[in-house]
Amino acid sequence: MAKTTRREFLIHAAGAAAVGAAGFGPMRARAQDSGPIKIGMIIPLTGTTSQYGTTMSIAAKLAVNDINGAGGVGGRQIEVVIEDDRSNPEAAVRAARKLIDIDKVVAIGGSYASAVTSAIAPLCWESRTVLFTASGADSITRTPHQGYIFRTSPTVTLQGTRVGQFAREIGAKSFFFLGPQTPFAQSYIDIISTIFKEGGGTGGGLIYEEKRASYRTEVDQALRAKPDVVILGGYVPDTGVVLKDLFRAGYAGGRIGFSFGVNQVLAQAIPAEVGEGAYSLVPSASEESTAYKTLIAKMNLPSLNTYSCQMYDHVVLAALALANEPSAPINGTTLRDNVRAISQNRSGQQVFDAAAALKLVAAGKAVNYDGPSGPLEFAENGDVEGVYFRYEQMQKGTMALLKVA
Amino acid sequence: MLIAEVAQYMVNGLVLGALVALPALGLTLIFSVQGFVNFSVAAQMTVGAYAAWAAGAALGWPPILIMPVAFVVPGILGIVADRLALAPVRRRPGAHTPLMLAVVSIALNLALENALHFLFGGDLRSFDLAVERDVSVAGIAMGPQQLRNLATALTIAVTLAAFFSLTRWGKAMRAVADNADLARLKGIEPARLAGLATFIGMGLAGIGGALLAIDTSVDPSTGSRLILIIFAASVVGGLTSLTGAVLGALVVGIVGEVALIVMPPVYQSLTAFVVILLVLLIRPNGLFAAVGVRR
Repeated sequence: MAKTTRREFLIHAAGAAAVGAAGFGPMRARAQDSGPIKIGMIIPLTGTTSQYGTTMSIAAKLAVNDINGAGGVGGRQIEVVIEDDRSNPEAAVRAARKLIDIDKVVAIGGSYASAVTSAIAPLCWESRTVLFTASGADSITRTPHQGYIFRTSPTVTLQGTRVGQFAREIGAKSFFFLGPQTPFAQSYIDIISTIFKEGGGTGGGLIYEEKRASYRTEVDQALRAKPDVVILGGYVPDTGVVLKDLFRAGYAGGRIGFSFGVNQVLAQAIPAEVGEGAYSLVPSASEESTAYKTLIAKMNLPSLNTYSCQMYDHVVLAALALANEPSAPINGTTLRDNVRAISQNRSGQQVFDAAAALKLVAAGKAVNYDGPSGPLEFAENGDVEGVYFRYEQMQKGTMALLKVA
Repeated sequence: MLIAEVAQYMVNGLVLGALVALPALGLTLIFSVQGFVNFSVAAQMTVGAYAAWAAGAALGWPPILIMPVAFVVPGILGIVADRLALAPVRRRPGAHTPLMLAVVSIALNLALENALHFLFGGDLRSFDLAVERDVSVAGIAMGPQQLRNLATALTIAVTLAAFFSLTRWGKAMRAVADNADLARLKGIEPARLAGLATFIGMGLAGIGGALLAIDTSVDPSTGSRLILIIFAASVVGGLTSLTGAVLGALVVGIVGEVALIVMPPVYQSLTAFVVILLVLLIRPNGLFAAVGVRR
């Protein structure tokens, strides 16, 4: 082969760039003209955040059945493409790239861990793909997302505030936060500190390295401050280790965790006496609503965590929003512009059933869909409003409900 | 106050170091005889932990009886994996470099970890043992299980030392580790010892994993999370010195914990790197390598 001169190389490179620009430019706008409408789901099926992964996938698939059973979107079936994020932001980015570039999804739902959501969010808004997320970190909706992000889970600020208030309710004057490096760890420490200081209390925190075999030294440091309550900010594996180390050290104070760390999965993984009495703050699904009751009946379960309910709603919101404007192209922008019209339309008919809502929307009626996860009303920045929490306590190896507020 | 704090952290580090010492011994043993760093010790640690857990859960044996299971299962699996994945690489004249073998062993580690994931799922498995409260001596707290782990690790280290100084096979291995060419001149065939070294090395890793799992719990990544400090312990010890591996593990364990007094815990893995760096800057052969050993 003849040697390529620099001039030839430049000509070829410019040509290739032009072809690329011509080829890729319109492709994005051309998304999904025929065949089923694809919605991506990035769900933790394995790894540290995978405790709800299985029911999350089932709920998303049930939503697809309900929508397709009611005739689909404008006569087209919908399809979810589920990818495992392995509880790992890098794997999640690869999954998001595949969903956006190859499957050409109009929306990505799921997206549970805040680190995962933070990693994939820019890919979504840059490709004009809607991102429905179940993550809590406040920073996610502070990004320049142009309205493409909808959060169905309460923010860290809200959860931290509730945990701080609850810690004071149980009589704690001082707290110590122990949690891994996550996009929300420092926020928790700051928020809870503020709440304690307002009541004349004190507190501090320590951010540890996740997935270690032992946290003895971290626990020793925490206990040196003699806290009335230890706030557990980790996911299940770390929280199990920390609780064991607290027990070994003879700590007798309160322990409060979050739904992603202190839950039934943890209760089964540790000896009952180690977790006995630990509290958990759990964002609650809309447990009194018919939407929730219908979903758990379909899944044949006595109850269901809010995150799986949110997966169901991610799919339903996407389908209803696209059906709401049948003349518009099927893409992420149309979806974004129609979510609030079907989820929080004050003059629309309140509907708890996805299939019924879809039929009304297809008939040109205005609806206000309230799903199993909640009323689904989104603030300007994409955060969900009006969320309830379950306050649970580990008692003899199972999570018992104390109150919903 | 500060002295008590430092003492407590040193004890915590000692316990962690004793656990890491076993896989570090395994890594060092395999490196000494076979001449490459076999990173799959990490997954074999997890294999040992799962073997022990399965024996404990299925057969209801007490921890002391399941240790042989935790030794033999990864030992045999280690030989099988070596034959299947590493031996073909060793047979290729162009590919038989320590770096290439180390890279293949990383791939092997991932394959084993994923196989465990497939077999056991990602959930944490705990031994059905009561968690015991710490005992406090002179203001320093220590768990009974940790004391037992420390004792087990030390017993095994002493047994190994006896094996290497008193038996023919042990002496032969030391000879190969010291100087493979000289050993071959004396009629010792290094290739024959490779299988035994792999068996013992992976078995040691397995016991380390089982002890760790008894104290905490096991999931498919249990061993892989520790690979960095295992490697650090081995390097600090000079990679060919068995005593060095034990002392290296204790140094890395203690430094990692004591450093938390001045350093945020989130950077704890950094200490292992810093220890490697400092030791190699000051003594490129490692702290405990015999003078003249070239590997």
